[in-house]
Amino acid sequence: MRHDGRDIDIALATLSGEGAQQIVSGEEEQVQKFAPKPYGKVPGSEGADVTYYDRPMLKQSVWSVDIPIYYFLGGAAGAAMTLGAAVQLACRDCQELREFSSVCHWTGVIGSTAGAAFLIHDLGRPSRFINMMRVFRPTSPMNMGSWILAAAAPASIATGLFINRGGFLGRVGELCGYISGVFGTMLAGYTGVLVSNTAIPAWIAGRKWMPVLFISSGAASAASVLDLFYESPMAQRITLMYGTAARAMEIAAAHQVERAAAEVERVAEPFRRGGTAVLWKGAEVLTAASLVVSLLPAQSRRTRQVAGVLGLLGSFTMRFAVHYVSNASARDARASFRQQREGVG
Amino acid sequence: MEAVLSATEAHALEAHLAREDTPNRTARKGFFTDTTICIGCKACEVACKQWNQLPDDGLYFTGMSYDNTVALGASSWRHVAFVERPVPLGGQTAGDLSWLFLSDVCKHCARAGCLEACPTGAIVRTEFDTVYVQPDVCNGCGYCVVTCPFGVIDRREDDGRAWKCTMCYDRLKADMQPACAKACPTDSIRYGDLDELRSIAEARVERLHENGVTEAYLYGSDAASQPGTEGLNAFFLLVDKPEAYNLPPDPVVPTKRVKDTWRSFAFAAIGMAAVAVSSVFAARGVRG
Repeated sequence: MRHDGRDIDIALATLSGEGAQQIVSGEEEQVQKFAPKPYGKVPGSEGADVTYYDRPMLKQSVWSVDIPIYYFLGGAAGAAMTLGAAVQLACRDCQELREFSSVCHWTGVIGSTAGAAFLIHDLGRPSRFINMMRVFRPTSPMNMGSWILAAAAPASIATGLFINRGGFLGRVGELCGYISGVFGTMLAGYTGVLVSNTAIPAWIAGRKWMPVLFISSGAASAASVLDLFYESPMAQRITLMYGTAARAMEIAAAHQVERAAAEVERVAEPFRRGGTAVLWKGAEVLTAASLVVSLLPAQSRRTRQVAGVLGLLGSFTMRFAVHYVSNASARDARASFRQQREGVG
Repeated sequence: MEAVLSATEAHALEAHLAREDTPNRTARKGFFTDTTICIGCKACEVACKQWNQLPDDGLYFTGMSYDNTVALGASSWRHVAFVERPVPLGGQTAGDLSWLFLSDVCKHCARAGCLEACPTGAIVRTEFDTVYVQPDVCNGCGYCVVTCPFGVIDRREDDGRAWKCTMCYDRLKADMQPACAKACPTDSIRYGDLDELRSIAEARVERLHENGVTEAYLYGSDAASQPGTEGLNAFFLLVDKPEAYNLPPDPVVPTKRVKDTWRSFAFAAIGMAAVAVSSVFAARGVRG
């Protein structure tokens, strides 16, 4: 007899049903994990606002912290690749920035490969990650993202290796730099489409601004990293401009997402109350602080570092806020019900 | 029995069998679940678990009427909801309390959010027009879990893959009806050709209206009544608002409204590239 919650004696029967291969770790742990708290209220006592025993209507995401970490790494990497390609394009002849361009691309290499590792780690069956490349499916932003990542990461590695070489390899590096610039830009933004292509009320409410939020957050963190680790007067001017635009846009986009959600009051609840609101507001405050510090009249290496650290923390917190807001939103059946009743689902 | 087929021959034979030998295989199949004749016996839940050899989810007490299954999940593919209401049903003469039951299941939507979002192609549309997750392909990315507007599909953590109702794909291929429909003692769950089910359902609603149950209506029976999903292959007859049964009042498959998002993605991407290039030009300009 197998003790896996099936109570099938395999000496007498075969396991061949559609769900027979479902792996069960242990019955006791399952009970601990799934058992809900007993419902104590009298049914129907809440009047007009009907729900099913306050149970969630949707499933919340099964993603762990790996996913917000990936949003952050992928976003920073993608935006750094964009900047690397921009330097190549706008500064073909200046020697001063050749090194900066390759630093940008190496930031892209580190971010995208580490990000891919987190993505694979989060899969239920990590050994099957390659199945992502089994199909080409434009209706699935996650599938599109896999292809984008598969193009951007190798291209950035080739760029980092070859861009400062002479001759044929140098030209290959140059070309790969542009390729990784294009795919890097998409890498920074597709995750915004991915979260909007769901049934989670808080995510779909902000669907017009999510890509803007993700791209600007990526650019802000890329500028912060480069500020922290690369010293050169001209590169600093570039990252200051890139970073200022990105941080301002990140704050603006976050405001727009919240405003769009507030169209239905209940949907905006996770942005405004509880732990998720602390994350969300905290991210905005950190990014705003970084913006202020980076624009102080008296600039030194120290102020740049402070701005960089604040900017990184702001973007990092923003990714976690987006993740946890969705879980709170999925648990609230009323948010979906009202959103759909008001015709904005 | 020494006859051996080549791969091409075997494929052609299989295609022929699927198309010709069983004429009903290419028809759209589905469930019609009539909640007014459900008695809440949970035979469908048991039959589903037993036939599909699904593990249990633990035994516990919820206090939610007679519902201790709580919700559909990775190893609960049928779930009977118990709704206790302090209002009488239309035409009810005794007492002012009514008790509603609904055997919930995967809706096998005409436009399925899970299928369109699946990045591996593990979720497919079968020859019966049902939605099926191939367990040997699924890599457990979990994207389908957040894209289902009904909160049906779920990833089992210890197994790592996403699971949901298969409409007993193995039984359908052998020309049998799904286990839940077979076990249902009152025919609350009916399986069959979708067109046929729809006319049965419409006749049933009419009959109920005549008998005074004026609140009876069909949920998701066609694209006209539920444009967001373009109709459900497993549709329901309800007598209260969908919310009472934990069903969404106006579900929309996510891909239907994602166009705006791709557009702002394109603007944002071009914007970031433009900011990057102009930052470099501006920095050069300052140097003179």
